[in-house]
Amino acid sequence: MTGEDTTSDRDGHGMGDERSGDAPGRRHARAEETPRDSPLEALFAAALRGEKSDGEAELRAVAAFRAARDTGAHRARTRRRDDWRPRAQRRRARSLKATLSVLLASLTLGGVAYAAIGSAGGGAAKGAAGGKDVRPSVSASTPAESHSSARPTASAPAERPPTAKDTLAHCRAYEKLRGRGKALDSTAFQRLVTAAGGEANVSAYCAALTGTGAADAKDAADAKPGQQKAKTSAPQNADKNKSKKQ
Amino acid sequence: MGQGGEPRRVQAYDGELGAAVARAQEGDETAFAVAYRLVQPGLLGYLRGLVGEDAEDVASDAWLEIARDLGRFKGDGAGFRGWTATIARHRALDHLRRQRVRPRSAALEQDMLDLPGPHSTHDQALESLSTEYALELVRGLPRDQAEAVLLRVVVGLDGPAAARVLGKRPGAVRTAAYRGLKRLAHQLGAESVTDDGPRTLGEST
Repeated sequence: MTGEDTTSDRDGHGMGDERSGDAPGRRHARAEETPRDSPLEALFAAALRGEKSDGEAELRAVAAFRAARDTGAHRARTRRRDDWRPRAQRRRARSLKATLSVLLASLTLGGVAYAAIGSAGGGAAKGAAGGKDVRPSVSASTPAESHSSARPTASAPAERPPTAKDTLAHCRAYEKLRGRGKALDSTAFQRLVTAAGGEANVSAYCAALTGTGAADAKDAADAKPGQQKAKTSAPQNADKNKSKKQ
Repeated sequence: MGQGGEPRRVQAYDGELGAAVARAQEGDETAFAVAYRLVQPGLLGYLRGLVGEDAEDVASDAWLEIARDLGRFKGDGAGFRGWTATIARHRALDHLRRQRVRPRSAALEQDMLDLPGPHSTHDQALESLSTEYALELVRGLPRDQAEAVLLRVVVGLDGPAAARVLGKRPGAVRTAAYRGLKRLAHQLGAESVTDDGPRTLGEST
């Protein structure tokens, strides 16, 4: 019986408690092919598995295989129930998938958020900071992953003077909203106010911008609010059209 | 052998099976035949326990599905045995549903009495447990125990894999297998299994 102790030891999870253990059973068990934990199991394995497989059935199976292969059925997607990789591996694959989707989602949302920042805050902020410092600081504050999504908006400034259009839009909105609601408390308008140098100056600031047009927007943004009053008389309609075209 | 809780993973041919499956998935039909020959005996034994003499038909159905869905499978040799066992089980349950026949029929008990007694001869019982007799014994078990024993012993699955096939918790399946094996040992004649020397009498069970 000493030999059988190892058997039940190996079987620590409690299935091998048959305390059995005969050499005959073990010998019978084709142990080289399917090692069993106990002679009893070996006995049943040998009795129930013992049969040679029938050649015709095998041919049918292989024919089905061939048909499936040739019709492309083998390219079907793996369902959850088809994934029998070891659990750790499965989990790893799943967590990779999860990570990727989270990353993708954050890129998408990040891109939307970035675009919103770009259109809402860019112009006014530029006026405040006076020039090119603004955009770099925005992109520097975005995480490294979102660079790819940030690129489309980042490349835009090269093609047009963006702040003019944005600021014009803010100006028009400001005119409509002045004195109503809380929209004017928003960051974008706060920036506009800051850029204009005080709430009282906003009208003048905007007028100056619309007066000089998009091409001169940089100069206007850099100019002191006080000086801009001089330019208020410029034709507004033309500029509206211009900015719409952009 | 027997590292961790997976003594079952030591199937010597799992490596061969895994390689054959991988080649079959690339379109090699000879490799598919190899996989068939490695898996079919265990599958058939399992199905015999579930559906009796219809096992070959059900196995044939199962193999059609296995052949068709092989591209979907992911895993190694041991995983392939679990996957195929799951498919075979579904086919078997479909079959039983169609037949409205319970896998463990009452007639079995009667048949068992006609079979050579548990301890007719010690050598006979242990050296050459006939397929029929083994089958009757296993099918005499409650269904969950029979399935757990078959998956473990005949298909060669480890606990977690057997649990996945059955859609149960590993603990429950382990207990079922344990009880089933214990009962089988008892029915075979506990004394002849535990002892080298045959005891005198034939009174047990």
